[in-house]
Amino acid sequence: MCTIGPLAADGRLEPFVRDTTALSRAVVIKVEALTKVFGASAALGGFSFEVKENEFLTVVGPSGCGKSTTLRLVAGLIPATAGKVYFRGVEVAAPIQDIGMVFQSPVLLPWRNTLRNVLFTAEMAGRRPAEYRRRALELIQLAGLGGFEKSYPHELSGGMQQRTAICRALLLNPALLLMDEPFGALDIMTREKMAFELQRIWSSNRTTVVFVTHSITEAVLLSDRIVAMTPRPGTTKAVVTVDLPRPRDVNTMSDRRFVEIAAAVRENIAAQWVE
Amino acid sequence: MIGRPRTLWWRTAGLLAGLCAFLAIWQYGAPAARVPGYILPVPIAIAVRLWQTLPVQIYHLSATAATTLIGLALALVIGVLLALTVVYVEPLRTVILPVLAGFNSIPKLAIAPLFIIWFGLGAESKVVLAFLLGLFPVFVNSVTGLGEIEHDMLDLARLAGGSEFRVFTKVRLVNAVPYLTDALKVAFPLAIAGSVVGEFIGGSRGVGYLILSGQFNLDTPLVFATLVLITAFTTAGIGAVVLFERAVLAWRPSRRGR
Repeated sequence: MCTIGPLAADGRLEPFVRDTTALSRAVVIKVEALTKVFGASAALGGFSFEVKENEFLTVVGPSGCGKSTTLRLVAGLIPATAGKVYFRGVEVAAPIQDIGMVFQSPVLLPWRNTLRNVLFTAEMAGRRPAEYRRRALELIQLAGLGGFEKSYPHELSGGMQQRTAICRALLLNPALLLMDEPFGALDIMTREKMAFELQRIWSSNRTTVVFVTHSITEAVLLSDRIVAMTPRPGTTKAVVTVDLPRPRDVNTMSDRRFVEIAAAVRENIAAQWVE
Repeated sequence: MIGRPRTLWWRTAGLLAGLCAFLAIWQYGAPAARVPGYILPVPIAIAVRLWQTLPVQIYHLSATAATTLIGLALALVIGVLLALTVVYVEPLRTVILPVLAGFNSIPKLAIAPLFIIWFGLGAESKVVLAFLLGLFPVFVNSVTGLGEIEHDMLDLARLAGGSEFRVFTKVRLVNAVPYLTDALKVAFPLAIAGSVVGEFIGGSRGVGYLILSGQFNLDTPLVFATLVLITAFTTAGIGAVVLFERAVLAWRPSRRGR
């Protein structure tokens, strides 16, 4: 379980105690031999993986290997050609309601300010937005958007818009957060900053996450485990466990272990270009 | 001070000065160039005629305003309903779109005489013409405003458990508002043209009728006076739409000063 370690001498929290109970943690998502064919072209060719409670799992792979398709299948937004997705042991046949989703573009409603954009999920779920106001404001604070509650999307930077989208996805405290290259449209500096921001937001309650990215650095920085995919039709190429302590910061990136893991992931993706 | 935004007062003053200069040139230039009054009456003659005929003008303008607004209201309701069918009922889309596109290629003013035969000399034929002219812009913009929602947004709504009704009221309808106000700015003058052409062709009420009687009597100042009033009415209508936009669409990034 996600217990927090004892206070270190310098007063900082010790890293989370990792993996001692990994085997006993509940499986949130189980993907079994997932295949998806669009017309004559197969996007996924028997992709399998598992995501456990409170786990941050990242899927990396070359362009077009079916990463985004995988997320849509997991969410139940599109039907699989073959194979199954189980959400807490139940087969997914329709959109799962207990899910938060973040896309590459923030998809905010331009006529709503930050607060009302965050409350959008509550309204869609048919709940009274007033009841979620406090949680929304807390999330906005947590995401570093305090003071921008009343700003409209066009008044926010790309990174701030994407943080608004993350708050919106977390509002109903979903069992699972799906993130489809959420920082893909941001410039490289903002992108790195957003990865640390996300880690900070995520650490506050450790929602189970499936994160899709092209960036190996981002994957290693954020994840508990990384699934490397083969080119189209995508399947599992390798699974890499990231045993770096949290919280991870800029210094982690020059850590020897970090470099080793990143190299291992890169190797798995690069090997495919030779084949 | 080039490029510095001027105040509203200065802009209004500039506009009025320009208008006065234009009217002055007209007032003194036309007689100097020996243009007879029945070809181009001078502004003061038009103003006098407007004043003399004001009760008659208002009587006729009210008829035109009524048929225009009723036609426009019908265009709004039916245009939005047709757009909804196109957005929601996939099989009907392939039927309605080409039919309406084909229908739009018929010059509606050219078949106005038919509407007089079908709906009579009264207000009905004018309402139908105003409606038909206003319908297409409303329909086309509604299809865009209601239909063009990002796919990711619809997925988000579905994942949050949003019913199609909630998506409609909270996403599609709000998204369509600026498209509808834009459509109204185009449809309003068109609907007036529809009413006026209907009045040209038959009937005894409306500014179209008044203009025709001015023409028969070679009362050109009367024709101009009526035109001034119709223009004022059109401007007022579009102005009302703009005021509504400012009130409701305050969230839009300001386009001025960019």
